[in-house]
Amino acid sequence: MTATPEMRDFAHRLLTYEADAGKASEPMDSPTLRVYEKMRQSLNEFVGVAGFLSLATRALALAKREAPSLGTARITADGTLQGLGEREPQLDIDRERAGEYPSSEGGIILIARILGLLRLFLGEALTFSLLRNAWPGEVFDDQSSANGRKA
Amino acid sequence: MSTRDKVAIHQLPTGVPGLDEIVGGGLPEYSFNIIAGEPGSGKTTLAHQFVFANATPERPALYFTVLGESSIKMLRYQQQYTFFDPAKLPGSIRFINLSQVVLENDLGAVLEQITKEVEKANPAVVVVDSFRTMVRKPQSDMDLQSFIQRLALFLASWQATTFLIGEYAEDELRDNPIFTVADGLIWLRQTAERNSIVRKLQVIKLRGQNSVPGLHTFRITNAGVQAFSRTFGLIGHLKNPPTHRRLTFGIPDLDKMLGGGVREGDSVLVAGSSGTGKSVLATQFIAEGIRHGEPGIIAVFEERPQAYAERATSLGLDLETPQKDGKLEILYLRPLDLSVDETMHSILDAVQRIGAKRLVIDSLAGFEMALSPGFRADFRESLYRMIFALTGIGVTILSTVEVDESFTEFPFSTYSISFLTDDIIRLRYVSIEGQLRKIMVVIKMRGGNHAKDIREYEITSKGVVILGNRLTNYQGLISGIPVRTDRLDAMEEPLPKPGTKSKS
Repeated sequence: MTATPEMRDFAHRLLTYEADAGKASEPMDSPTLRVYEKMRQSLNEFVGVAGFLSLATRALALAKREAPSLGTARITADGTLQGLGEREPQLDIDRERAGEYPSSEGGIILIARILGLLRLFLGEALTFSLLRNAWPGEVFDDQSSANGRKA
Repeated sequence: MSTRDKVAIHQLPTGVPGLDEIVGGGLPEYSFNIIAGEPGSGKTTLAHQFVFANATPERPALYFTVLGESSIKMLRYQQQYTFFDPAKLPGSIRFINLSQVVLENDLGAVLEQITKEVEKANPAVVVVDSFRTMVRKPQSDMDLQSFIQRLALFLASWQATTFLIGEYAEDELRDNPIFTVADGLIWLRQTAERNSIVRKLQVIKLRGQNSVPGLHTFRITNAGVQAFSRTFGLIGHLKNPPTHRRLTFGIPDLDKMLGGGVREGDSVLVAGSSGTGKSVLATQFIAEGIRHGEPGIIAVFEERPQAYAERATSLGLDLETPQKDGKLEILYLRPLDLSVDETMHSILDAVQRIGAKRLVIDSLAGFEMALSPGFRADFRESLYRMIFALTGIGVTILSTVEVDESFTEFPFSTYSISFLTDDIIRLRYVSIEGQLRKIMVVIKMRGGNHAKDIREYEITSKGVVILGNRLTNYQGLISGIPVRTDRLDAMEEPLPKPGTKSKS
């Protein structure tokens, strides 16, 4: 089973946001690392280091089945993500706006998998509530409106 | 010192229905409380209810989880409760996991971490769940008592109302220095009584205010913990105190035997064996009240409301229309693990909902059977509290009770509860002239006069109908096997003048 379209869509939104934000900051990490780190820091407080580590390890295991590009990625003992490809493919904003993105993109799949696990265990409302500290409200509002359009 | 010099202690709502009443209005602000009990007794749920009821973005709640249940699983289950509002996270409620600190450091580091978070967030509520797990880690530099003392001191200064949650067994309560530090100690118990689980809570200690002593039953539903005070939430609520008005049955001869009817606010017991018409009499009592504009409640335990109403229809009594008009509620209270307090809560809610003046409990035997076995031992005591509470607010209660027919005795009840009742009407079978006929007698009326007559009655399509005059030509009627005498002057005994006391 692959990451759900809703979670991929939201993961892509977060990555797009960080890609834009990253342009203005130095040093520039990959959007995937930036999103992952924000999630880790945000969730560490709530689930603890061990709790996030188990969640991220499971998400990576699932994501690797879908995205061979994640083959070298690993989660360290403190929950950080290492071993992503040297250079992630640039996000195509135009395609993102058109609602398209390459399904093989490892970063999107990994983030979508973490979000998917959170949603599975906690439900959508609580998952988004827990992440609201890390990203501005419009990211979540866009998600809501995107879901609304699909409905 | 004048009262103006005394500090006012603000009380915070517990968020647990019924618990505010038990703790004396709410929990004291800035108090340091321990919620103790065995695993699965509802400690975490109770703490969550308090947190969700009091946390605001300006004064948030910090919920520290330590070892034990994983945070994700805890919230996965807790969010199933209706009080859980995900929108309150993380702005008003923050969950902070301290397991790493506990595993890698000592209690001093835990205290340091809590201190840091509290200073940063300025919370109104702090929960540590479960503080007991911290002490199970060996080689702590700071013992638990010292940790708790310092934590209590710090959190009080930071104006936080605090809860420590701990797993404790009953025998750990005594001589435990941890509990001396706490301002409040709420103990949750759950025990298996045959096939039922009985949950009870006790406010063992609460500084600064009067809590209701004793064990109070509670239930965990999808709304969380709900507590049922032993005082039924009626402390200081003497609303609608009873008058000396007489309430009639609508059976003229019976009302006459009762000296005009039962006194408002009385507890009436109708006792008799199966088929003697107890429920019919109870239904007529309610129907007559509705005719006089007095809403009523019928609590049934042995048959369903629809069947009860249909039987009334066969007696020419319409219970359907008043139900639609909000003048009557038939409560069906049948679950097998009820406590009296829960039953009372349901009845009181209904009484307040429709402003009921008359209540029928049909029957006490069914009521007892509906209770969890663990509560049956307290049935008489609970019944006393229930009758006292309801009659105190002006409700007139008619309870039916089935008694075994005996030809050597004339019992009023198998529960030895006649002392709880103001008035007793006894129905029984008698063998007369080759027929099993029915007689009725008013045994007792605490508040006034009543006839001493033994009257024969029948149950007809119009309900209970009293036949003729008192039976004077038989002796030994109450034995059930009377002997015919030669006396033929059947006459009614004149009633004493109103206002004179009954000799009974």
